[in-house]
Amino acid sequence: MIDELIHFVIPLLIIIAAIVAILLRDLLASVIALAAMSLLLSLEFYILQAPDVAIAEAGVGACLTTAILVLAIKGTKRKEDEV
Amino acid sequence: MSGMSKIVKTITSISIPFILIYGLYVIAHGHLTPGGGFQGGAIFASGLVMVLVAYGSVWTMEKIKEKNLTMLESLGAFCFILIAFLGLVFGTVFFNNYLVGSNSIFGTVPAAGSGLADINTAGVIPLMNFAVGLKVIAGLFAIVLVMAYAISKKEEK
Amino acid sequence: MEKRSIAAILSFSVVAVFFMFTVLLIHPFGNPVSTEMDDDIISNAQTDTGANNAVTSVVFDYRGFDTLGEATVLFTAVAGVVMLFRRIKK
Repeated sequence: MIDELIHFVIPLLIIIAAIVAILLRDLLASVIALAAMSLLLSLEFYILQAPDVAIAEAGVGACLTTAILVLAIKGTKRKEDEV
Repeated sequence: MSGMSKIVKTITSISIPFILIYGLYVIAHGHLTPGGGFQGGAIFASGLVMVLVAYGSVWTMEKIKEKNLTMLESLGAFCFILIAFLGLVFGTVFFNNYLVGSNSIFGTVPAAGSGLADINTAGVIPLMNFAVGLKVIAGLFAIVLVMAYAISKKEEK
Repeated sequence: MEKRSIAAILSFSVVAVFFMFTVLLIHPFGNPVSTEMDDDIISNAQTDTGANNAVTSVVFDYRGFDTLGEATVLFTAVAGVVMLFRRIKK
């Protein structure tokens, strides 16, 4: 019961985090939402019994990608333009 | 990007050895526990990026040059391909695991089934783990370091 | 509504319908279709390669060429980024 609930809730949270990352106009907040999505994705890999992929996802997705994107935002500008 | 406050620097200095040692542990035990060269290298590079963020890119660039990092990365790639070609020399095919069953380093074969793990097993796999780990550490850290340094130079102008 | 959003909604619904049919055709979770290769690797990996971790033995021994390709991708990425951000000496 609790197992099926976890398998249902974590993908839902991943989708919510991804939609929030798209909808936010502040790019820095969007990057943080992307990092949260990455961390939840690594948790999902872990409960699907793939710890190798979980470690790689947590290291690359949640730390290095966030650092690179924050540096890129620092080099350009923070707010997204209105279409 | 200049460094952050003294609190961040102190916390980084305290916690950095544990992160780096955990990364090296994941690399060295790649043939026994989940993980391997890429995963451990990503953890190690994450720790180095924490130092970069806390102390600033100019300070980090003074300590370790990007040229050395790219050289280390090329060295890791060269060692990986060299080990693969040694399989062609000592064994039969490319990527042959020629150390398994021999009495040299990493040579023993564990008993089948679950049991206590022995680190002196698995042939060329630990050597390849070290090569890939060196490559991933140097490569991922070089990307972030070069980007951070270029942006800090752009801000000075 | 402008033309662009109509086209976006139309293409999204077409792709969603195709994905829906594909999802209905997938075999149930936890029951892979063909397992001869997996069973062979699980039963023989420990004696073949000597590694207790079967995943690493697949990544570095059985499928070493994949790791070689991954290393090549990383090398190319690092070379491209360092070339893009290098400082031009005057």
